[in-house]
Amino acid sequence: MKKITLTKQIIFYIALISIWQLVSMTNIWPNNLFPSPYEVAEDLVYTASDGSLFFGIGTSILRLIIGLTIAIVGGMLLGIFMARVEIVNQTIGSLVLGLQSIPSVAWVPLAILWFGLTDGGIIFVTAIGSMFAVTIATYTGVKNINPHYIEAARNMGAKGTQLAIYVLIPAAFPYLISGFKQGWAFAWRGVIGAELLFSFLGLGFLLNVGRQLNDISQVFAIMLVIMMVGIAIDGVIFKRLENKVMSRWGLR
Amino acid sequence: MTKLEAKNIVKYFKHDSHRLTALGGVNLQIEDGEFVCLVGPSGCGKSTFLRIVAGLETPDEGEILFDGKPVTTTGPERIIVFQEGALFPWLKVQDNVEFGLKMAGIPKEERAQISKRYLDMMQLTKFADSYTYQLSTGMKQRVAIARALVMDPDVLLMDEPFAALDAQTRDLLLVEMQLIWEKTKKTILFVTHNVTEATVLGTKVAVFSNRPSTIKKIINVDYKRPRLVEDQNLFPLQQEILSELRPEVKKS
Repeated sequence: MKKITLTKQIIFYIALISIWQLVSMTNIWPNNLFPSPYEVAEDLVYTASDGSLFFGIGTSILRLIIGLTIAIVGGMLLGIFMARVEIVNQTIGSLVLGLQSIPSVAWVPLAILWFGLTDGGIIFVTAIGSMFAVTIATYTGVKNINPHYIEAARNMGAKGTQLAIYVLIPAAFPYLISGFKQGWAFAWRGVIGAELLFSFLGLGFLLNVGRQLNDISQVFAIMLVIMMVGIAIDGVIFKRLENKVMSRWGLR
Repeated sequence: MTKLEAKNIVKYFKHDSHRLTALGGVNLQIEDGEFVCLVGPSGCGKSTFLRIVAGLETPDEGEILFDGKPVTTTGPERIIVFQEGALFPWLKVQDNVEFGLKMAGIPKEERAQISKRYLDMMQLTKFADSYTYQLSTGMKQRVAIARALVMDPDVLLMDEPFAALDAQTRDLLLVEMQLIWEKTKKTILFVTHNVTEATVLGTKVAVFSNRPSTIKKIINVDYKRPRLVEDQNLFPLQQEILSELRPEVKKS
């Protein structure tokens, strides 16, 4: 079953690239606006060989990891408080919903004024742009815990931080994972968006350089890389985590 | 010596705008080491009464005395076993059984020693490393009972723990439960809607009336153990309990 899916996907991508090649060969659009797959691949090899591609990927991923970690820790804390303390939910809860509707790039001007053109600013944008998705998922997850789990744990003497670490977080994990997935997607958008506007290293910066140099193949190449890093992180980390949790929690 | 005393327990439930009296003044005195079964029509509030004894709910009037002192909160000296076990799916069987010990700060080696004894007693040793989704319903209930016994509670509170089991598994556990009681000398409060179960297990059977519930009658069961479900000698007693219950069920 899995093998058949993979075969279908390979055929699809080969077909897509072939069509792309054919379209670029017809010269409907000038070559400086629509590069051929070969030119894009050439550009990838070139940026890879001088190391700037890997440095860019590394920089962006490092910022992602720091920002997302802050978002996950902060988001979970806030979410647990919202779920367990009604007054926190009634007050801060409404603010969280509002803050979540702000796109992460909208935090960029504030971040530049507060942090200057630094790593700190980009990490701030990444963290704040993804934190509230984690908060809301945590809140929903904790609210949906089988009340008998919490009662049994309290009955056996768990309270406060112990209850949160040993019961609330693991019990809410199936929801938390979807929160992490959403949070990571927001964080990745946040990093790239912020790098574009900060113009300070990373994949977003390389993308902007491509635009400034009118180098359309670099723009295409970097966008491909951004997409592939996304697929890799989603597939390697989150899919596995999700599968494991779903079977362990008896949900599959 | 009196272990538990319920004094005029009253509990209301808010239902839309009107108030429903679930418990209308329950009085019950339980001596140390007694095995008391609570039977009653469904919805009569016998489970609510058990939850009040566990300290998971507070009565609107009256009080529970444990060793002569009023119960104000939940605690490990009164451990409850839920109908579906409420085992934690994120923990292995052994870690489930050790949960309360871990909360009490008992070191790992000591926990393993204690849990081993109860895993053996409940014939779970082979399953110590399994996750709960790998267990049958009967096995899960064994784990739930082991998890409760590990806490070495003074009182074991059981809320229809065998209701979801198939007949063979239940009959087996009914015999084992009697052995556990004889071995551990625990005071047990056991909620069931099954009259046969009540007469097989209990030293006393307390019959609840329909809402607003009070205890209508207490019947002593003096009969040698281990008692079996098919034992004809318990039949007259079961008839007596049923004749008390029948008018209550009709009223509901």
